[in-house]
Amino acid sequence: MTTDLPLVNRYLTAFDAALIQLAPAERAEVVAEIRQHIADATAAGKPIDDVLRSLGPVEALARAYQLELLVSPRPNAPARPRSDRWLKVIGLLAIGSLPTFIIVVTLGAIGLSFSLSGVAVVIAGIADSVGALPWWMTSNVQPWVAIVLGVALTILGLLASWATVAYLRFVVRVVRRVVPPRPAAAS
Amino acid sequence: MGTLETGDWSSQLKRGVLELCILQLLREESSYGYEIVTTLDALGPLAAGENTVYPLLRRLKADGMLETFLRESPSGPPRQYYRLTPDGRKRLTALGKEWQAMASAVDQCLHKGDAK
Repeated sequence: MTTDLPLVNRYLTAFDAALIQLAPAERAEVVAEIRQHIADATAAGKPIDDVLRSLGPVEALARAYQLELLVSPRPNAPARPRSDRWLKVIGLLAIGSLPTFIIVVTLGAIGLSFSLSGVAVVIAGIADSVGALPWWMTSNVQPWVAIVLGVALTILGLLASWATVAYLRFVVRVVRRVVPPRPAAAS
Repeated sequence: MGTLETGDWSSQLKRGVLELCILQLLREESSYGYEIVTTLDALGPLAAGENTVYPLLRRLKADGMLETFLRESPSGPPRQYYRLTPDGRKRLTALGKEWQAMASAVDQCLHKGDAK
């Protein structure tokens, strides 16, 4: 039987794989019908190469089916299931959790430590300028340099803290948009 | 593509008409894919590739216009045949009327000014 040719089987296997978007029962019938077409055409005396060329590349043939069966609106098409939204949540977690962790830890640490140490340096600078610093804490840094440095550190720290809070707010907004509302609140 | 090329225009025209012709082919007796493709091929301008006819058959089935059944074939496994459903018959009548009206209107349009 001509349909047992490896060439035909290869074509049909590839075609079946390309029909991944169709329902399994539909897919099986479609592949069976194309198998039948090949058998009919070769039985009518057409060379197998011509028959397959006329059917065209499997991707194009599968796309033609999907355009007719999936793109044109079906009556009674089922509504998008809620599980779709949960998939989005999982996707969001997969993509967003590592960057969020890194950004929050880094920016948060910079914000906290810079602002605290900035304030401490300013106090130390002032104390040094009036000579109130014990000898083991003094250095050859001028007091005004310490004050300027401390103010700069504090500003950087506050900026980083502000950025951390802004980023967290953004994350909350995104998560709220994606997470399905509770059934009671959804109505 | 040049504006004198009619390929795109006729393929769009054919898309709609093909549905009517497939329903009409199946009006009297049921048929199977290869037979439908070769019958359309023999009609010249209506010839459509397998990659148009077969997907269209499946859509007409999904829309409830056609139904399939298996029938023993003289050679090999049983064949999948298509036949009209009652809805398909109604649609054929409706599309047929629409086509007649459209064809005569287009015909009048093309001959306007001829006879004067």
